[in-house]
Amino acid sequence: MPKFKPHRQGYRIDMTPLVDVAFLLLTFFMLTTTFKPSEEVTIVLPASHSPNKLPESDVITINISKDGRLFLGLDSQILRRRLFGKENENKASVEVPKEQLAKYLVNARTANPKLRTVIKGDKEADYGITEDVMNILQDTQITRFNLVTELAR
Amino acid sequence: MAGGDVAESKSHGKGKKKKGRRLGVRIDMTPLVDVAFLLLTFFMYTTSMSRPQTMEINLPPDKNVKVEMAETKLMTLRVNDKGVIYWNIALDAPKVIEFRDLRAFLAEKAAAIPGLTIVLKIDRQGKYRMMVDLLDEFNLAGVQRFSLAPLADQDKTLMAKVQG
Repeated sequence: MPKFKPHRQGYRIDMTPLVDVAFLLLTFFMLTTTFKPSEEVTIVLPASHSPNKLPESDVITINISKDGRLFLGLDSQILRRRLFGKENENKASVEVPKEQLAKYLVNARTANPKLRTVIKGDKEADYGITEDVMNILQDTQITRFNLVTELAR
Repeated sequence: MAGGDVAESKSHGKGKKKKGRRLGVRIDMTPLVDVAFLLLTFFMYTTSMSRPQTMEINLPPDKNVKVEMAETKLMTLRVNDKGVIYWNIALDAPKVIEFRDLRAFLAEKAAAIPGLTIVLKIDRQGKYRMMVDLLDEFNLAGVQRFSLAPLADQDKTLMAKVQG
């Protein structure tokens, strides 16, 4: 029997649907991604079993760092410019002295009354500073606020 | 070159009414797909889908409003700077309780005493995590009403007495 090599059928896969799907996903992720401005301080969140989610917009965040400094963060750039000036508009949060926190909070809330206040404290931060912040909130008539936590497992 | 070939075949087609053999143009899509998937993976990794959880707290609008309530429904939890938890109801002497026993203990108390209110006093030197953990325990145990109060010096002496 002669050595007979069967003619290999060179087959090609049509990649077009693959590319379509890939680009579809790519567009989806590109549109949904919001780049976070780099944080001024890293905050390690405490854990809780609370089922509530953080609202996506209209949030004013009071960050409490591990060493007890306060950073005020806003999600809207326009409001950041109005409150902290043009040089700080691209920062996620701006350090605010404790004495001026009330003033900033009132200003922010007059600019946007829909703002929800959240406290984002480092889990190793002192309770004392948190107590002070809560007193300031109560004084400025912000009696409903949220504490940011991560989900406990 | 390639460009010239095309032009030639075109003129052929027109002149002699003979269709020039169309070269099936196939683009190798592999690099395109590579780049697309690279970007796709990048965006997938950078997207943070999950938003953090939050715990809602409502404070009374006015600090100076006094709320009258039965002493027997009032539990005080005091936490010192080392995170040791002391509990007492009404004016009893404080007793130490371990954090891991707290949930069952609170659930039992909340069931036994309807309308139980907890006053939480944490030392200023204590940790913020302690507060969040305790509030979480309250929520899990079904204690609806609680308030936060500053830890005064007399609370500290009370706790010191228990230790000594």
